Order: sequence, then structure tokens, then C-alpha cells
Amino acid sequence: MELLSDSIVLSRMQFALTAIFHILWPVLTTGMGIYLVIVEGLWLKTRNPDYYLHAHFWSKFYVLNFGIGVATGIPMEFQFGTNWAPFSEAVGNFFGSVIGFEASWAFMLEAAFLGIMLFGWERVNPTIHYLSTILVAVGANLSTLWILTANSWMQTPAGGELVNGKFVVHDYFEAILNPFMINSVLHMFFATLETSLFVIGGISAWYILQRRNTAFFSKSLKIVLAAAIAVAPLQIYIGHLSGEQVYHYQPTKLAAMEAQWKFSPAGKPADWSLLAIPNAKAEKNDWEITIPNALGYILEFKQNLSQPVRGLKEWKPEDRPKMVGLIYYSFRIMIGIGFFFAGLMLLSSLQWLRGKLSADNISQQRWLMWGWVFAAPLGYIAVESGWIVRCVGRQPWVLYGQIRTVDAASHLPASNVLVSLTSFTTVYTLLFIAALYFSSRIIRTGPNLDLPIPGVEITKPAVDTTPAEFVPDERPVEAQQ
Amino acid sequence: METLQYFLPQVWFVILAFFLFLYVILDGFDLGVGILSLTSSDEQRRGILMTSLSNIWDANETWLVLMAGGLFGAFPLAYSTILNALYIPILIMIFGFIFRGVAFEFRELSQRKIFWNLAFGVGSFTAALGQGFALGAVLKGIKVDETGHFIGSTWDWLSLPSILVALTLIQGYVLIGSTYLVWKTTGELQNTHYKTGKLAAWTTLIGAVFITITTPIIYEGARMRLFQQPLVYIFALIPVLGVWLIWQLLQSLNRKEERAPFIWTILLFVLTFLGLGLIIFPYIIPRQITIYEAAADPSSLVIMIIFIGFLIPVMLFYNLYQYIVFRGKVTGGEYGE
Repeated sequence: MELLSDSIVLSRMQFALTAIFHILWPVLTTGMGIYLVIVEGLWLKTRNPDYYLHAHFWSKFYVLNFGIGVATGIPMEFQFGTNWAPFSEAVGNFFGSVIGFEASWAFMLEAAFLGIMLFGWERVNPTIHYLSTILVAVGANLSTLWILTANSWMQTPAGGELVNGKFVVHDYFEAILNPFMINSVLHMFFATLETSLFVIGGISAWYILQRRNTAFFSKSLKIVLAAAIAVAPLQIYIGHLSGEQVYHYQPTKLAAMEAQWKFSPAGKPADWSLLAIPNAKAEKNDWEITIPNALGYILEFKQNLSQPVRGLKEWKPEDRPKMVGLIYYSFRIMIGIGFFFAGLMLLSSLQWLRGKLSADNISQQRWLMWGWVFAAPLGYIAVESGWIVRCVGRQPWVLYGQIRTVDAASHLPASNVLVSLTSFTTVYTLLFIAALYFSSRIIRTGPNLDLPIPGVEITKPAVDTTPAEFVPDERPVEAQQ
Repeated sequence: METLQYFLPQVWFVILAFFLFLYVILDGFDLGVGILSLTSSDEQRRGILMTSLSNIWDANETWLVLMAGGLFGAFPLAYSTILNALYIPILIMIFGFIFRGVAFEFRELSQRKIFWNLAFGVGSFTAALGQGFALGAVLKGIKVDETGHFIGSTWDWLSLPSILVALTLIQGYVLIGSTYLVWKTTGELQNTHYKTGKLAAWTTLIGAVFITITTPIIYEGARMRLFQQPLVYIFALIPVLGVWLIWQLLQSLNRKEERAPFIWTILLFVLTFLGLGLIIFPYIIPRQITIYEAAADPSSLVIMIIFIGFLIPVMLFYNLYQYIVFRGKVTGGEYGE
């Protein structure tokens, strides 16, 4: 196959694969970090043991995801050098610094305090422990800040110019605060949070459906529902703002997202394609359902376009994204999921207001609970779709409008990249299966509700009635001797 | 401006060397413990070994991520050329990291622990091996054109000297891993690692002697540097100090001291780093690209000092803090809830 002998194509496939796989794990840890801050705060405030047990139970998912996130994150950093050496050299001045900021601001903070958060319950006082949990969440989210800053800059390069193939920075703060930066950071921040909320909600709903610890899990469901009331609509709004920015800054991507082949002038309404089969060869949609005059409303809530929407045909094929169908449908999938989340949130809130989500009657809401279970994996799909729109839509550029992806790849023997790509595919498939298996095992085992609660005296029966039973020693290591 | 052109890259050379040094010490014992776990006979022991790392392995590994990020920002040309040239050793290291990283949590959750024990041990070994090859290749030199881009072949990194460096690095990691376990464990487990520590001290010494002798013979560049006045006096002192440190280390292991062996080993690593630094500086790719040629723009280096440099004390503080929180011997094989 011709494809397999082109090391640039292989490097692109490898980057796509490793990025798509890697993002699955930090999405949960960044969002769930905030949830853990909430439940530990509730525990400290109310001293209700349930919140303490919630913190313990969900942190099991946290640490599982964190481990895989770290292990799959390292290849991302090194790949810039191994497979994209010309890119790294050209943009090192800015992009490289930001990768360094991410490591020093975010990774180190999260890694150092994670140990205390997980294993330090009995080694530090509650305030320090809570502070550690907060710093873990802060660290994880700072990672979102920096990596989205770096990626936004690839979408809308600012703060300098290319001189002899190297990006020379004139103003660092202009480069950091590039046009896409704030919206993109917020969009990803809410994406990780929303995905995590619906994962936690989905797992809680599963227990409620099984009638296992219903009262316990109705608590977590309500916490995430309360958060989703704010997050789900906000995310739709920020998503809209991001779309508007694409309209202003990345005409080729917008044309691909909406499968627009022809020029639509400003000051007039234009048709919006709801569903279509884009055909890149014929430069048209083979089949489509359009909604007349709706494009202006979709882009800006106005009937008339404030600036022209350019059609894909206006660019030469090598100057526009190739995979129009992928971009077009990924975009629609992401939006569909965003609205599904908002709908599920509204429906659940309604039932909550009607008093149908109390611990006694929540398990009767079977359809609603199945809705939450169904929603659990959707956040991941939305995140992946969004990133596909963002990065496949940016093509053929790696640095939008300035450096082409084909010019950014290292000159490597194709066989090397083929071997590494195959290895990543194999290893990541195994990791994925193992992670699903171990997650389902955590779920099946369920929360350990017999954990000793700090500050609560354990009343033991005077005579041990079940001497044959193995009692795990839960005391701190020093006390076990 | 003239002085800045020299001063800033030098500052970053020192900062990155410091990050790399911390990494080699901290992940060195981390990987060393992993390699030693391959020799562990029973499950409980392996449990203790992994528990002794459970709260710190990711922070330790993060020093490398930080070093690489810093290298990318401060010396983009070196970052891209070195990694491009070392495609295979880097991949060897990465896959080692993946397996050992996920093993911590997977082993906890798994009922068939043997598979993840193996992933942890073999992963640690593989990661160390990849690093050793990478170090050996950089010391040997990377073929570049006049613009500093890599023009060698995929297998340039593999040579007898780089194999020697890789094996010695693994011995060094086993040594520091052993002395770390002497510090963190008790009883029979501690006894075992007094023995592995002694053995590793000897094998490291043999490797170091070989490298010290062969380096000036094989590499003209290193030879010129070594016999340059007045550096020759420092270079003459390093092997003497090294032998003295190893002797002190062996003594402390014989006396069954608990912390001293770890500290002597760290001092050995410091000495090695000083020696390497003096041979390499002011190059970042020996004999090819100097730090001044590879450096990013001065404004980038200044911004990075503000955004990263000032955080160094903070990072050191909270890393140290968590070592203090988890001080003391590790006895249980359980993580604890």
C-alpha cells in the first residue's frame, strides 16, 4: 500500500491515534478533580460520612485514569521532537515554552499532591488534605489552560511572525492571549467537567437501577445534576462562541464544518445544511437536507450574514481540508451530544422539582436513570468529535495559514514509523480493554461503606464473632506493627 | 545584548542540567526498584516495593517531562535534532514507561498480579535501557548538517560504547534503587538490598572504569577536552573522588547504615554529572551544536525564566513536603484506603 510507505502520513496517523487515545484519560481526571473538591468540602462542612466515602470511592476512578493519562501523555510530548522535528524547531520559541509551562505549572503540582490526596488521609490534617485535593484539581485544570493555549495558537497564530522559517515572538502575551485562547480554554474546561459529571451520574444511575446503595448514589447523582444545571447550558453557549470565532478566523474550517461549497455573500441570508453527503471530488453535496435562510441564525443569531461565508470551491484542493465529511459529521455529533446533555439535565431537574428524585422513589425513575447510563460515554465522543473538527479542520496547516503539515514532519524511514504506529495501536488497544475491565470491576465491587470514618470512634463488639473472616488492616502503616 | 546572548543559554543549560539531575536521582531509584522487583521472590515483597513508590513515581517521572519541555522551549534545535535522531531509543523508553506506569494501578485491581508485576519490572528495565542508549548516542555524537539537522541513519545510536553506557546506567539505577530500599525498608528485605547494593556498586564501578578509559581513546573531542589546561586537573580529580566515594559507599553498606548509602550514591551521581557537564559544555550536542546555536530567542529564554525558573523553589518545596509526609519505613504491601 502506498499509504504505508509515506512516513508523513504515518506520523500523522500516529499523532492522531496517540492524541485521540490520550485525551480519554485526562478528560475524566480534570473534571472529576473538581467533583472531588466538592464532596470533600461537603464532608468537612457537614461531617456526613457519606461524603467521605464518596471521596474515597470516586478517587479510585481518578487514580486509574491518572496512571493511564500519565503513561500515554509522555509519548505526546516526545512525539513533537521525534516525528515533528521541523515543526518543533520552527515554533520552539513560543510553543516549546508553553509545553514547559504546562510541565512546571500543571503536571508537577498534580503529581506531587496526588500522593497526599490518595494515601495521606491519616498522615496530614484535614485542612492540608483538602488543600491537596484542591491543588490536584488546580494542577489538572492548569494543564487544560496551557495545552489549549498552545493549540489555540496553532489555530490563530499571534504575537509574532515567521522569519526564515522560524517563528519570532514580538509579544508573548499577545501570543498567549491569541484570538482563540480564552474561548477554547473555557470550552475544554467545561467539556472535561461535563463529561465527568455525566460519567459520575451514569455510574450512580446504574447503581440506582440495580437498587444497590440507592440513598448513597442518589447523593452523587444530585450533586452532578446540580452542577450540570449550570454547566450544560453554559457549554452550549461557549460552543456557539467558538463557532463564531471559526467563522471569523478560519474560513476553510467553517466551510468544511457546514459543507458549504459555494460563496455566500454578506448582507444576505444563506441556506444551512442540516444533513448532507459531501463529495470532495465533485465539490458538492451529493444529497442534503437544507433549511432555507438559517445559516445566519446558526452562526450569529441574525438573519443576514455579517461577513461572507466562503465556499470550499474557492480554494485549491491542496489549500483546504480534505476530509469534509468527517469534519461535517463530527461537528454535528458534538452538538447533538451537547443538546442531549442539556435535555437530560432539564428532564432530571423537572423530576427533582417534583420530588421524584428522593432516596425512596428515585429508583422508580427507570427511564430517566437509563438515560443517564446511556449518557455516560457520550461526553468522550463529544470531546473526540470536537477535537477532530478542530484539528482535522485546521488542515492542510499545522500552524494555520503559515506552516503546512507536510512541511512539519520529520524525515524518518517509513518502516520506523510503521513499527511505532503498530506498537502504539497494539499497546493502546490492550490498555483500553484493561481499563474498561478494571473500571467495571471497581463498579461491580462498589463502594466500601465500612471504612473507618476519621473522628468517629469505632465501636467493636467485645468478642470477635467472625474470627475466620479476613479483616483487612486499614490503619496507617506505622500502626500496623 | 552581547552578554545576554551568552548568559541566558548558560542559565538554561544549568537549569536543564539540574532538572535532568533531579530526574536521574529520583526516577533513577524509581526505575532501579522496578528492575530489582524482577528478582523478588514473593508477592508480599513486590507489594512493599511498589508501595514504596506509589505516591512518588509520577512526580519523579514529571522531572523528565519538565526537562524535555524546558529543552523544547529553550533549545528547540537540540530538542528536535536529538529526538529525531533517537527515534528508536526514545520509543523503547516510552513503551517502558507506559507498561510500568499503568502497572501500579492495574496490579492493585488485578487478581492475576503476575502479569502486571512483569509489566512493572520489564517496563522499568526497558525505560532505563532506552535512556542509556539515548545517553550513549548523545555522548557519541549525532550526525548533523551545517544547519544542525539530523542526517544520520536510524541505527546510529547502537554501538558498543552506547551499549556500555546503557548497561552502566542500569547498574547505577539498580545501585540507587537498592540504597533507597535500604533506607525505606526493614528486616529481610533490607538485608537483601544491602547485598544487591554492594553488587551494584561493584558492577557500576566496572562500567565507570571502562567508560572512563575508553572515552578518551575512542572520541577525539573528549580527549581534547580532557587534556585541556586547566581542566585536566579537575578531570584527574574526578576518578580519584569517584573511587573514594565508592569505597565510602561500600563501607557504609558493610556497617549496615541505613541512610548513608543512599547519600553516598547521590554524591556519586553528582560527581558523574559534573564530569559529563564539563566534557559537554558549551555544546548541547557534543562537538556539533553549542548551546548558543541551539538556543531560542533571548526574549523566550527570559519569559521562560519568569514562568518556569521562579517556580523551581516552589516545585522543590512541595516535592520535599510530600517526601516528609511519607517519611519512614514502608512495611505494608497495601496502599491503604
